Amino acid sequence: MTTSSEDVLLQVPQVRYKKGDGTLFLMDQRLIWMVENRDTVAVSHSYADIKSQKISPEGKVKVQLQVVLHNGVSSTFHFTNRNGLQAQLADRDKVKEMLQTLLPKFKRKVDRELEEKNKLLSSNPALLQLYKDLVMTEVVTSEEFWVQHASQYTQKQKQQPQDIGVSGAFLADIKPQTDGCNGLKYNITPDIIECIFKTYPAVKKKYVENVPTKLSESQFWTKFFQSHYFHRDRKYAESKDLFTECGKIDDQEMKRDIQTGVDDPLVNITEFEDKTLDEGYGVANEKTNVTSGTVSQAMIKRFNQHSIMVLKATKKQENSEAEAKNVPKQNGNVSEEKPDDGHVAKKQRIQSKITYEDLDSPSASSSGGPSLSLSKVERYLHGPMPDSNVEQLNPNEASSVLRGVLQETRQWQSRHPSTSLVTPAAAVGALGELSPGGALMRGFQEQSLAQLVPADIENEVRNLYLALCELLSHFWKCFPPSTPTMEQKAVKMHEALHRYHTAKLKPFEDKLIRELSPLSHHLTKHLNQLLNAAYQKFSNWQKIKNR
Amino acid sequence: MVDEEEQKEYRWETGYEKTWEAIKEDDDGFLEASVADIIQRAKRKRQAQKQGNSKLGMMRHLYVILDCSDSMSSQDLKPTRLLCTVKIMENFIEEFFDQNPISQMGIIIMHNKRAEKISDLAGNARKHIKAINNLKQTSLIGEPSLQNSLEMALRALKLLPSHASREILVVMGSLTTCDPGDINTTILNLKSEGVRCSVIGLAAEVHVCRRLANETGGLYNVILDDCHFKDLLYQQVDPPPAALTLESNLIKMGFPHQMSVEGTEEPLTMCMCHVDSTDEGSKLNTGGYYCPQCYSKYCELPVECRACGLTLVSAPHLARSYHHLFPAANYDEITYENQTVICFACQKNFSETDKQVYRCPNCTKIFCINCDIFVHDILHTCPGCATNLSTFQIAHNTTQ
Repeated sequence: MTTSSEDVLLQVPQVRYKKGDGTLFLMDQRLIWMVENRDTVAVSHSYADIKSQKISPEGKVKVQLQVVLHNGVSSTFHFTNRNGLQAQLADRDKVKEMLQTLLPKFKRKVDRELEEKNKLLSSNPALLQLYKDLVMTEVVTSEEFWVQHASQYTQKQKQQPQDIGVSGAFLADIKPQTDGCNGLKYNITPDIIECIFKTYPAVKKKYVENVPTKLSESQFWTKFFQSHYFHRDRKYAESKDLFTECGKIDDQEMKRDIQTGVDDPLVNITEFEDKTLDEGYGVANEKTNVTSGTVSQAMIKRFNQHSIMVLKATKKQENSEAEAKNVPKQNGNVSEEKPDDGHVAKKQRIQSKITYEDLDSPSASSSGGPSLSLSKVERYLHGPMPDSNVEQLNPNEASSVLRGVLQETRQWQSRHPSTSLVTPAAAVGALGELSPGGALMRGFQEQSLAQLVPADIENEVRNLYLALCELLSHFWKCFPPSTPTMEQKAVKMHEALHRYHTAKLKPFEDKLIRELSPLSHHLTKHLNQLLNAAYQKFSNWQKIKNR
Repeated sequence: MVDEEEQKEYRWETGYEKTWEAIKEDDDGFLEASVADIIQRAKRKRQAQKQGNSKLGMMRHLYVILDCSDSMSSQDLKPTRLLCTVKIMENFIEEFFDQNPISQMGIIIMHNKRAEKISDLAGNARKHIKAINNLKQTSLIGEPSLQNSLEMALRALKLLPSHASREILVVMGSLTTCDPGDINTTILNLKSEGVRCSVIGLAAEVHVCRRLANETGGLYNVILDDCHFKDLLYQQVDPPPAALTLESNLIKMGFPHQMSVEGTEEPLTMCMCHVDSTDEGSKLNTGGYYCPQCYSKYCELPVECRACGLTLVSAPHLARSYHHLFPAANYDEITYENQTVICFACQKNFSETDKQVYRCPNCTKIFCINCDIFVHDILHTCPGCATNLSTFQIAHNTTQ
């Protein structure tokens, strides 16, 4: 609170606040205003609390600055420098600029996280419900909630946006549209912009230099498309354009590439020819003179350049990653290994061009992987059978049993006619048992009970289940505990479950007993069972641990 | 008289062009027979190669990657490639979960140079079918990115335990792929993680797909028409041979039962599978399966318990996977020489049109061709062997 431990960055006397004269001080962590001639601080706002500042418009007589906090409170300071309007304006502008530099430093972190959390909660009703049940009733602390229970939601946000490749035709796909009066309209999306930056790093540099300070974004792109850099003619030497440098840089790169050439021993670029018929068909080998400067040559050059740059755009990342990995391992052995690799690779490539695996004889490798070794196959085919209950009949007994059965079946011929079946009483009894509510149809009674439950109670029960499920999943994940942290977590979750029991479940049960007495026991029986199973597991584990 | 007129004129002079003469027909006048023939022959070849006694990856975790780029709006498969694919995929998903009840599937689409996961790994067929049906409304733009989608699938598959078999199936309609980096590194990663990638091409063979399938040990085929597409897709329903990185572990599973205590009424409970779904929340009812470890209730099996993480299955689910390990023996094809009058399975009389009949090597009963296909594709048990106790057991002993 005292000003001695903080640095005063700016002190502005003659500032009125709420009809009192005083001095405004800007410290390094906060902003304070003290009443004239007194030592106590009347108003203190730390920069982290300040959301924004406002200044009164230019023409006004009263020169004011308003500071708006996150929680909506605002404080207005009136600059009343006796030297006149100009001095007041100067004072206010000084304060304003200082605040402008200071506020961003404090603003960012706290603000953004809270906003993200609020957004998550409002967009996921399930998460909101969990939050209400667990955090507001203090079953789980707020930090634990965000770390454990909401982790899958927060991670979704942090997922890196995917990298996309550069397709060869991305510039051609822009497809300019004519807008009637001799102009062209180009639609570019962020994807296309990213592709342009990846392929033409020189353009990216220009963008970073010029936008937003010198040119606006749309102006930059307009210039880009207008420049000869983009268009075919490419006679850029004359015109002074933002992009002439880019053209020169590209040319230099091309020259360098041509000099390094292609590494591959099987490819010989200088011998590439443009013939349709192969050797031996009677066409002599003609070397055309290279005529430079024609439009077609320029176009071919541009196509080649574009293709080279597109390919390079994808290779750049790979190389930087590969280098980062290789550097710690290899020291001086790189150059020795290379020629050997070159030889082996060449042989492999030639080999792959002359063999076709379709034409090879079908190999025995189609035996399809590792084989299964089973010790007693019958065990898989029958259920578990008790061994010793099989009675062994000797043949005499068997034949006597057979004779008995045959005699019985002969007697079936002289059965009662099929009109008299079961006694009526027995029939009615069976019907009764099979209708809903009878001895054999146990479930229906409770189904009708379920319809008696009002919808809001059902919703509450559902929310209870949801919260309990979340807690239980974290609880059961800790078993079997392999590390000390897991053991601690198990203990913590156990306590959380107890807290949940007392904070949410018991009040709900009490409420039910008061309102709907017949159902109260039924609805929460299962929830209690779930909790008891968890408690049981925990106590078993404790017992084993303490042994 | 008509013939003389035709002979005098040149083809370009005639008013009518006899285009129908250019198409070849088979004996019965059907054009599709040639493609169906190919399918049939491939099926028989596969059937012959199937033998029992090999280790299979039965707990399968399959990611299906569908191409949703520009090329899928082409109309060579009616009505468009995408709609045809969606239709066939629905049937495939049901068949997959039918034959592999303890497996899980996830779906990713390739769209506008990015990959998007539309369905997470789960064992519930209905959810996936709903997600696939929603695909009919997506706009097909841009190029597919094979690398992005393979990376996305790999990230999820890496986290699985080692006893699970990891697979990816790509349905690729485009001939190009636009990737942010080198796809060869992705292929190497997949190989080292033991992920088996198969590709079904809808247009033509692409070298990258061929490499991907060969390196990871999967299958690559290009379709001829929609029947062939269906057949190739159904080839993926059978469990593949186990990868070398597959470890054999004991897996803990729960076998839930209905909870009923004698004398008291069953309590009203809510299920955990629908507790957080917005459109159909759980209802209070009495039936359901209770997890033996934590007592949470679920509406249907197989499922992974949300509270304690235990895999809950019922015994028939496991038994359904048996026929992959102990398949019915392949029947020998022999010429019909009046060995029997009727087919043992369907009791139909053999006539002169049946030139080939099929005999089971174990029980030596004779079957007709339809019963052969039925037994091996759908029934998975030979009726002759099953009705004869002694041969049933012998069959499985001799396969060892």
